[in-house]
Amino acid sequence: MNSASLGRSFDVRYVITAAIGLFFAVVIVFPLSLVIAKSFSSDSGLSLANYGRVFSDAANLKALWNSVWVSVLSTAICVAAGSLLAMLVIRTDIPAKSFLRLLLLLPYGIPPFIGAIAWSQLFGPAGYVSKLYMSITGAASAPWNIYSPGGVVLVLSIYQFPVVFITVSGALGRIDTSLEEAARMSGASPFKTLLDITLPLITPAIVAGGLLAFVGCICNFGIPALLGFRARFFVLTTKIYSALSIPDMPIAAAMSVILAFVSGLALVLQRRLEREKHRYAVISGKSVRPQTMSLGAARIPLFVMVIAVALFAGVVPIASMILTSFIKYWGAPLALKSMTLDHYKYVLRIPIGARAFRNSLFLAVGTATITMTTGAFVSYMCIRARLVVARVLDFLGTIPYAVPHTMIAIAMILAWSRPPIVLYGTIWVLLAAYLVTYMPFSIRTTNATLQQVHISLEEAARVSGARWSDTMRDIVLPLIKPGLAAGWVLVFMPAFRELTMSVLLWSQGAETLGVVIYNMQDAGYTQIAAALSTVVLLIIFAGNALVRRLSRGEIGF
Amino acid sequence: MADWLERIRVLKLTKKFGSYTAVDNVTFTVRKNEFFSLLGPSGCGKTTTLRCIAGLEQPTSGEVYVGGRLVSSLEKGVMVPPERRGIGMVFQNYAVWPHMTVEQNIAYPLKIARVSKVKIRSTLSNIVDLLKLSGLEKRYPAELSGGQQQRVALGRALAMDPEVMLLDEPLSNLDAKLREQMRFELKDLQRKTGIAILYVTHDQVEAMAMSDRVAVMNGGVIIQEGTPYEIYKSPATKFVADFIGTMNFLPCEVVEWRNGCAVLRLRNGSVVRINSPEVGRGSHTLAVRPEDLLLNREKGVDCQVDVAIFLGNAVDYRVKLGDDILRVQTSADNRFEQGEKAKLEVQRGILFP
Ligand SMILES: Nc1ncnc2c1ncn2[C@@H]1O[C@H](COP(=O)(O)OP(=O)(O)O)[C@@H](O)[C@H]1O
Ligand SMILES: [Mg+2]
Repeated sequence: MNSASLGRSFDVRYVITAAIGLFFAVVIVFPLSLVIAKSFSSDSGLSLANYGRVFSDAANLKALWNSVWVSVLSTAICVAAGSLLAMLVIRTDIPAKSFLRLLLLLPYGIPPFIGAIAWSQLFGPAGYVSKLYMSITGAASAPWNIYSPGGVVLVLSIYQFPVVFITVSGALGRIDTSLEEAARMSGASPFKTLLDITLPLITPAIVAGGLLAFVGCICNFGIPALLGFRARFFVLTTKIYSALSIPDMPIAAAMSVILAFVSGLALVLQRRLEREKHRYAVISGKSVRPQTMSLGAARIPLFVMVIAVALFAGVVPIASMILTSFIKYWGAPLALKSMTLDHYKYVLRIPIGARAFRNSLFLAVGTATITMTTGAFVSYMCIRARLVVARVLDFLGTIPYAVPHTMIAIAMILAWSRPPIVLYGTIWVLLAAYLVTYMPFSIRTTNATLQQVHISLEEAARVSGARWSDTMRDIVLPLIKPGLAAGWVLVFMPAFRELTMSVLLWSQGAETLGVVIYNMQDAGYTQIAAALSTVVLLIIFAGNALVRRLSRGEIGF
Repeated sequence: MADWLERIRVLKLTKKFGSYTAVDNVTFTVRKNEFFSLLGPSGCGKTTTLRCIAGLEQPTSGEVYVGGRLVSSLEKGVMVPPERRGIGMVFQNYAVWPHMTVEQNIAYPLKIARVSKVKIRSTLSNIVDLLKLSGLEKRYPAELSGGQQQRVALGRALAMDPEVMLLDEPLSNLDAKLREQMRFELKDLQRKTGIAILYVTHDQVEAMAMSDRVAVMNGGVIIQEGTPYEIYKSPATKFVADFIGTMNFLPCEVVEWRNGCAVLRLRNGSVVRINSPEVGRGSHTLAVRPEDLLLNREKGVDCQVDVAIFLGNAVDYRVKLGDDILRVQTSADNRFEQGEKAKLEVQRGILFP
């Protein structure tokens, strides 16, 4: 291409890039740096005083320690369960593999805080399972308590193990089975082959999946909030929430920076492992025969066990949520005559219900549209136009991926509650928070989508006489449209049911669905929370079906 | 042939995948010191046969003996697992373990067999020398070229000190030059070690160059078995004739038989005589190798040179004989021009129904 043919489009590209750069600087970089600055500032200027206060206060230290042990324990459970289940489903002759896979991924689609609500419906003091236990044994109470550290660990594990399951089954599926067969031919038994060949080959995936699960656990707010508060069991995220309601901004900022540091470290490690993958790339033949181990007599028992785990983790909580949303009053006997549609009617009638729907819809649509458009431009400038400055944009836009949502919320409060721009107290502060949070997702999707369109397709159009704008309209856009649409839904869904940031940033009139569900549950309106949750779940699963269709089954669960 | 000289014996082996028969009633024997090839087009069931012998696949019926021991028979309820068959195997894609160094890869079978450290050292250095891998011991496979990975796979199979080695198209991932070199090295290796080798390939040149005996497979069935010479000179079927080397096929009519000689009429009416065992009269196909056709100016049927390709040591011609086009090769001394009228003498040929 000579410079004349680049012509005007060249300038336009720089203008767009500069505009996005400014946008990122104001919306992402400025607020986040305020948090760090705040955490290091005190009356006497720059100091470590806030961190000193975090580490000298027994309650804060306790929360930090709780965060660590709860996340480590949950991660260990996730790694064990996720890897074993992946082995079973991918590498044995267990029946109905694809069905099992689908069932095991189901918890992945349930928002963790909705999962926590379902689990308290099942195992709370008056929960379905607890009451069943009491009626069978005649005991006055169930021997378990879901509102406890143990409950937090259990529910965290359930909603994070699919992450490990996905990464490990991916790695298992990629192993060339002849590597294992070669070990058998060398004299190794199936078990020795598993130890010497299979396990070392999937270890990076297990560790990477474990790190992702760890980050998911330590940054989670909904589960420890809904199951831990009652037991006065605090972790970092819930402690930050408390600090903000005092409000003690410097302490909240310092704790969020600590959280960001720990989770950021885990993510850096995970990325490194991801990049190490190529070290294991060797010549591989065309035939990768799916080699499955025979389970023999254990086949059916193991199948039943996996089904039980999957039902327990995904199906039962959803069923419980639906049931609760139809039942007349909490604790009513489970009979058809105790069923009612009243809660749904009520949800629609009260202003706050309709408002939450409107707000969440507005926020999710707005976030998905703005981030996908921006992401598409950033990716294009990076991958196609190969502008070096666009690389900077790509970096800035993906920073928030490593930032816990609590820290993003604090950043928004610090940045947007003082003149000249006051967004705090309105719905716009939520939009700002969502934009920061979901920008990395968009950029990743658009990068992946654009990489699939080979540049020669574009060049062929240019050679055929099309201008840059024609090429975009006739070649690039039609080819990336399905990918962009799938990405849009992928941002829409988590934004639609977001809790952590909303609960820290909402205000009267700017309630989101997550906030209303959380508050209803917290205030004891279990059925109202259930009705709202059921609707949210319905929309999530419909959205997932849409994504799967748009991406021909490649994304979604 | 005494049983103890048989390293591999495959008896009426059949393997079905669902209703599809990949290997169909295959029987053959590989003897001590023998280089035996299974040769056939892609998808004909070579790999499946090999995997049944290795124990990586359970045959649907039939028996497999390795070193005189029955290792696989559904009827008799025998299925020795692969790790207890003592067979060395080189996979088509090498299957070198990416998380182990060259040394660790090669020594793995010894480690499994709990061989002493001292013995492992000496075996390892022997193999490394033999396969010219010295200096690469501490490298990981990702840091090796395709040819080097292939040697590692070979070394790992050799480390088992097996009496039998199975090789599945081991050269097909290498470039042409390396492939040719490895052919000699493999053959040499086999001669030095005396291991019985069962070699699988779809490349007939490779099979011809290295094998003591070849079994030609197609559609899951062994069609012909013999020395490379036998198979080249007397292919049993049209498929073998076509698959091995270059062959001209001419539709013809057997007019009569006279003292072991067939009198044939070709499609353009010209008459040809060839030596052949009697096969009856009527419509047949005459198969002739390019080197068995003599292009000259004196004797034979009339023809016309269509294309002449100079190859250096020889000339390759496409010759028109009526509507048929034949490939003929002559030495470079006796040249014909493109379009020149000439005569063609059939010196040898085979009749197929
Ligand atoms: N595991 C399998 N399942 C189903 N069909 C198979 C399997 N393995 C091989 N086949 C089929 O059996 C036939 C022979 O395969 P293979 O032995 O790999 O051929 P070759 O090695 O001669 O190219 C092919 O048509 C192939 O598709
Ligand atoms: Mg094959």
